[in-house]
Amino acid sequence: MNRDTRAIGDAHRSPGIREQDLQPRERMEDELIMHLERDQFVTETSRPVPRAPLSRRARTGLWALRVFVVLVSLMVIYTFIAGLR
Amino acid sequence: MATPEVSAPSPLLGRTGLTEEDTARSVDRGRVNHARTHNKRWRLLWLLVGPGILAMLGENDGPSMIAYASDGAQYGLGFFVPFIPLLFWMAYVCQEMCMRVGSVTHRGYGELVLQRYGRVWGWFGAGDLTLTNLVTLVAEFVSIRVGLAFFHLGAGVAVALGLVLVMFTLSGGRYWRWERIVLGMALFNGLFLLAAILVKPHVGTVVSSLDFTPFPGGGFNTLLLLLASTIGATVTPWMIFFQQSASADKGMTPRDIKHGRYDTAAGAVLAAVFGIGALIAGAALLTHNGAGIQGFAGAGFPEALKRVAGSAAGTVFALGLIEAGAVAILTISASTAYAAGECVGVSHSFNTSPRNARVFYAANICIALLAAVVILIPGAPLLSIALNANVLATVLLPVSLVFMVMLANDRALMGTWANRRSTNAIGITVIAFVGLCGAAYGIDSFLQTIHLIGS
Repeated sequence: MNRDTRAIGDAHRSPGIREQDLQPRERMEDELIMHLERDQFVTETSRPVPRAPLSRRARTGLWALRVFVVLVSLMVIYTFIAGLR
Repeated sequence: MATPEVSAPSPLLGRTGLTEEDTARSVDRGRVNHARTHNKRWRLLWLLVGPGILAMLGENDGPSMIAYASDGAQYGLGFFVPFIPLLFWMAYVCQEMCMRVGSVTHRGYGELVLQRYGRVWGWFGAGDLTLTNLVTLVAEFVSIRVGLAFFHLGAGVAVALGLVLVMFTLSGGRYWRWERIVLGMALFNGLFLLAAILVKPHVGTVVSSLDFTPFPGGGFNTLLLLLASTIGATVTPWMIFFQQSASADKGMTPRDIKHGRYDTAAGAVLAAVFGIGALIAGAALLTHNGAGIQGFAGAGFPEALKRVAGSAAGTVFALGLIEAGAVAILTISASTAYAAGECVGVSHSFNTSPRNARVFYAANICIALLAAVVILIPGAPLLSIALNANVLATVLLPVSLVFMVMLANDRALMGTWANRRSTNAIGITVIAFVGLCGAAYGIDSFLQTIHLIGS
């Protein structure tokens, strides 16, 4: 994901356009683009990353941990409420 | 490389699809690139610090500082002086992973869990976060109220102060502005160190406590409560959400990871030193008013310190509580806003204007507002909420940490920046330790409450 930012700025320019031909606003835009990596742009980060395959064991482990944590949380909340009485 | 100043980003939205978020971030990145190209090392460090220090000092919040001071008041310095740095080292391990994942993927924790492992896990995480954040935010307003009570100011002022700060910091429409304001405020966490100096501790006692002795006395459940609440004062779910999202929002890249580590380590060291400051200040009450945890969680803490160590110590401690609560309100609200925006799938950046990131700004304000309303309810069990906030965070933390380690190990996302074996070994040990302490306290307290075991 680490890319050369200068190369990204150049990639957005049309080939054959000379530096002095660019309007000030376009030059500023190109400079701004140069400072960001390609995968930092909102258009890139808005695209979801692909789903990771989770093995059956991993899914079971995660659900077991989730159920355990919910149970212990309920115990803590019950103890908290009982302590108020 | 030049550092362009952009006053009106809207004309840039057309040609290459740059958004106002991109424009604002690229201006910040321009400064970083300029400092790096011209080998301005201190300037580069100044530009890249932020998320790590904010996560660590944000966690030195009101309930945490009261917990440290209560530990000192009830048990003295032994055990806790080395235990607090150990916990912050654990926090560093977790937070470094968050910073690294945020810098490499440019995405927040909530959205990565949701997209990578499914909506169920993403929403579970967001639910845990909202619950613990709401409870913790109530505790932060309590902390401000306790501090203000020392100056004879009431709950209304505490609520107004907290909400005005949230609105003020959100008003700029820039991540950089928000970060620098909160960073400036967070440095006043050092007031706890000043309070420790003002109580004139015996240096020999502080040094001799570095060998983890004397071990705190009391029953098994009290010890578990101390462990769970002290862990909850150091590592919490909101820190994970916050630092990863803030690192992405700041625009950090893999080239900045070294400085991200400096930032996180500096935050951990400062937080540990200031936490020990609160502990030492609290320990001044050990031989005088020696009351239990419940007694010292109230508004009497700065007052008790004033009687024992003088007016200046009480005043500084009260101001510290106000600062700790205020900074935590800002960082915890921000973590809720990041999580809300990421899970709903809409814009979630301080670099976007409120008009274009309504969910982000609304979540930021609403969670603070909700917590503020709770502390205005007559007869609400505020002190009990404050005491239990850290424990609840500790109990819910292991799930967030497991997904953090999974993300940091995901080679498809992280490439060469994925965790090493040694980092995994430490990370898994931290998860096991936190999980065991939280679960042991929860189960033991529950069994005592339903009278299945004696206290």
